[in-house]
Formats: sequence, structure tokens, C-alpha cells
Amino acid sequence: MRIGIVCPYRWDRPGGVQYHVRDLAETLRGLGHHVEVLTPAEHPESLPTEHVTFAGRTVPIPYNGSMASFQFGPISAARARRWLREGRFDVVHVHDPAPPSVGLLVLMIAKGPIVATFHAASVRSKLLTVWGPVIRPWLERIGGRIAVSDFARRLQVEHLGGDAVVIPNGVHVAPFAEGPQLPGLERGSGGPTIGFLGRYDEPRKGLPVLLEAMRDVVRRHPAARLLVAGRGDPDGLRAAVPPELRPHVELLGELSEADKAAFLRSVDVYCAPNLLGESFGIILIEALAAGAPIVAADLDAFAAVLEDGAVGVLVRRGDAAALAAALGDLLADPDRRAELSARGREAARGYDWSVVARRVLAVYETVVLPGGGGVTASDDDADVLSVSVDDVPGRSALRRRVRR
Amino acid sequence: MDLSVWATVVGVVVLLLAAWTAWTLARLRRLEGRVDRARTALETQLRRRAALADEVARSGAAVLEPERTARLARAASGARLPWTPDREQAENVLGRELRELLRDLPGMPPALAADLAGTAQRVVLARRFYNDAVRDTRELRGRRLSRVLRLHGRRPLPRYFDIDDSYDELAGTAGSGRS
Repeated sequence: MRIGIVCPYRWDRPGGVQYHVRDLAETLRGLGHHVEVLTPAEHPESLPTEHVTFAGRTVPIPYNGSMASFQFGPISAARARRWLREGRFDVVHVHDPAPPSVGLLVLMIAKGPIVATFHAASVRSKLLTVWGPVIRPWLERIGGRIAVSDFARRLQVEHLGGDAVVIPNGVHVAPFAEGPQLPGLERGSGGPTIGFLGRYDEPRKGLPVLLEAMRDVVRRHPAARLLVAGRGDPDGLRAAVPPELRPHVELLGELSEADKAAFLRSVDVYCAPNLLGESFGIILIEALAAGAPIVAADLDAFAAVLEDGAVGVLVRRGDAAALAAALGDLLADPDRRAELSARGREAARGYDWSVVARRVLAVYETVVLPGGGGVTASDDDADVLSVSVDDVPGRSALRRRVRR
Repeated sequence: MDLSVWATVVGVVVLLLAAWTAWTLARLRRLEGRVDRARTALETQLRRRAALADEVARSGAAVLEPERTARLARAASGARLPWTPDREQAENVLGRELRELLRDLPGMPPALAADLAGTAQRVVLARRFYNDAVRDTRELRGRRLSRVLRLHGRRPLPRYFDIDDSYDELAGTAGSGRS
């Protein structure tokens, strides 16, 4: 199958959607499909030479709680049109088509089987309430909608009309499942360890709650240590840790991908005390794949990944006492940890890209009709602004009406 | 106000109305195409499911009691009805038969079981996309102005296709993010 994927965010910036598109494209290529990507970038020369096409530079604008890449205009439209013509795709897959970006442009220009994936960034959706009806005529062209989580699906149903099938984000399970542990911090060596990963100076990531819980945990398990990994201000963290906890908190700083996997394989318990705002718990899937038993806040996205507590422990968000009890119990119960670890590895397999990409492929195959023709680009720019010439069905329909 | 101002105002309103009408007609025509394509996709998947059920009925004749085989074959033939509530009923019967069959017959050839599970998954997708297209169409046709102008012409209002296509219990859906 010839597949065209549109990524509306700058390829050379780190971001969940970019990684998602990159991994999906790679996996589909591995399955024997021809995949092309159209994306904006800050530095076009930084793009891979093959299978990735530069869509233009973008102007970042705040959208839905994060920065979207605003990109509109005749040059971008011409690039998108050429990409569509030269690609001769059987299906075009647009990611996050709602912001005014190259994704929406492609929706305006392309005709034929179109699939779209909705990644929700945050809960702030006031803008979407206003913007949704404006772009609705173009969203109507999407033949198959995918949402990455129940939350993203709800956002889509409420603001953009229509329904979506839920296909979760993928993870490459193997690099997390197997490999070395962090030297000196191997599981079972020294005291029990609790892992935290994320921007530790962002309150919504919930580290303060975890620090408060640690007092009780340390009372029950005097050798327990909290390992903090991620970006942030180290001095701020040191100041936030009460003196009696200092010997029990270790800051690892930012980790490379390989070290992150080793970290998740090393910790006795992984803790995600987040207070709000995660639309998809990719880190939890990585922890599951690494076989780390998990204690997490009961956010919708986390509850979905942990199958409502079947493959990890859920505690009320922001409740330090409950978190301390859950962590303490789990550290005291090696059998339960082994059980959660085994179940977690099993559950993570369902999120492996090989599984997820096949599910996306099933969507493509449902939308593409045998002999139905592929994606074409409409001919003139007028279509972007109003109705294109060959698109005036009105004419025959009107004539029929007039005759009646 | 004199006449020319009124004429201008009326002219502008008529122009706007004409532009809106042309635009909405284009949308309606595109939606009609989408509904047709989605219906074809759904029909294809439903027929494939019926054909598989037929195959199961034939290949399983030795293991299954004859009454059950007959029931399965009858259910499969129901999937050839035109699109009416009867068809939905028939598809529900077939879906139930297949679900029970997979539960009672673990020794089914793996290839056939995988085919059935794959088709069940695609029925879910195709039906979701079809109903999605129908919803978009009905929403646009339900607008007051498109109703008053009867922009849909003589096209019939597309119907939702409602069947129970749950298949979670018959396919391993670990991490399916089910709703």
C-alpha cells in the first residue's frame, strides 16, 4: 500500500506526535508498505533525505494548551499539492488535523481515502469549541478517525463532531523489555528503590506528593530510596527535600533513551504521582514493558493503561497518605511485585508498534475500497478558499430542482 | 432609505445565500459519496463474515450437532437481506452465533479463528466509520436553512446501522484501550 502521513509539528523538535509518526512510518515500512511523510521543520536540511518531505517553516501559535505550528498560505498549499500528486497514495493519514497547519491544508486539497488521528494535548478546549465548527466542512472529508485515548476521543466527539476508534500510542517494547540495569542500582541490590521520571519541577507531575509520602515509606522501610530522573532545576529540588529525607532521595538528572530503559528495569517500584494533564501514559507503558511494578495516580489515561488496577496499583491523585500506604505495601510484598511485573510485561505487548501498526493498517484497509482509486489533489487553489470548479454539484442538482 | 440602498442590501443577501448554498451542496455531495463508500466497506466486511460463517458451518459439520450447523447457515444467509431493520436483526443473530461458537469450539483451525477475529474487528471499524458519515450528513441536513431550501433534493436520509458487534471476548485485545 502507498501511504502518505502528514505531521503538522516541526520534525526537528522533540514531541510526542513527531515520534509517533516516525515510529509508525518505520513500522509500516517494515511491513512492506511505501510510506512518505510530509512535515514542517525549522531547518529543512535536518530532515532525512528519503521519504520525508519538507512542508515549509511554521509560526508557532498557542493552541489547545500547547504550541501548534501555524502554517497556511499558497506556498505551503503548493508543496502539499505536489507531495500528493507525486506520492500517488492509496491513503493519506493526517495527524492532529484541527490546528491551522499543513494537516488541515492537506484535508482541503486531498480527495479520496483520508484517515486522521487525534492526539489530545490538554484539557483546555475553549478554543476548540469556537474553532471546531469553522473547520468542520474539511473534517467531514475524513473517512476514518482514530483517537489515541478515550480522552482524545471524548474531546473529538464533543468539539469536532463524529466518532473515532481508539488505537493507543505505540511503544517499541523490546528495548525496554531486555537489556542491562543501571550500574550500582540493580534491582535487589541495596535497599528498595522507587523511581520517578519527568520534569520534577512541574507541580502537575506530582513530585511534592511523592516526597510527602516518602516520609511514611521511609518509616516502614528505612533503607528505601527515591530515584528522581528527568529535567528540572536540581537546586530547587534539593531545597524542596526535607533534611531528614535527604539521604533517601537521589537525583539522576536527565537520562538518555537507553539509560531510561535501564532505569525502569532497575527500580523496584515505578511511581507516577501526576495530578493532572496526561492524555496518554506512554511512560507507564514503557515501565510495564521494563517489568517495573507501578503505583500511579488515578488519572483516566493511567487507569486505562493499568486496566483499572489489574496491572498496577492506582491511588487517588494528590493523596499522599494513600500513596505512602500503596508504596509501603508493595515494597513489603515481593510476590505481588513479581506478579504485577509479569502481568505488566504481558499487557505492554499489546502496545508494541508491531501490534499497533497492524491495527492502524486495518483502518486503512477499511477506508480504502478495492478499485476505489487513491488520493488525488484537487486542481486549483480556489478549492482552498471556496468551491472548486469541478466541485459544483450544485449545478446538476439545481438544474434538477429547477426542472421540477 | 432609498431604493438603491435596499436593492444593494437585497443583492448582497442573495449573493451570500447563493454562495452558502453552493458550498453546502458541495459538502452534501461529498458526504453522500462518503456514506456510499463507507456503506460499501461495511457491506464487504459483513459479507466476508457471513462467508466465513458458512465455511465454519460446512467444515464444522462433523463436530457440531446438525441443528447448530443449520442455525449457523441460516444466520449466514440472513446477511444477504437489503439494508432494513431486518438486516440488522439478522446480523445480530449471526454475530451472537459466531461468538457462542468461538466460546464452545476452542478446537477451531487457528487460521479460521484468526480470520473470524480479524473480520469481527473490521466490522467494528467499518460500522463506526459508516455511522460517523451518517452522523455528519444528518447534522448538515438538519440545519434549518438546508432543510428549508431542501438542499438534499430527493436523496433519502441515510440510516444508522445499529448492531451489537462487540468482539472483545473472542479476540485477545490486550491494550486495546477499549472504551
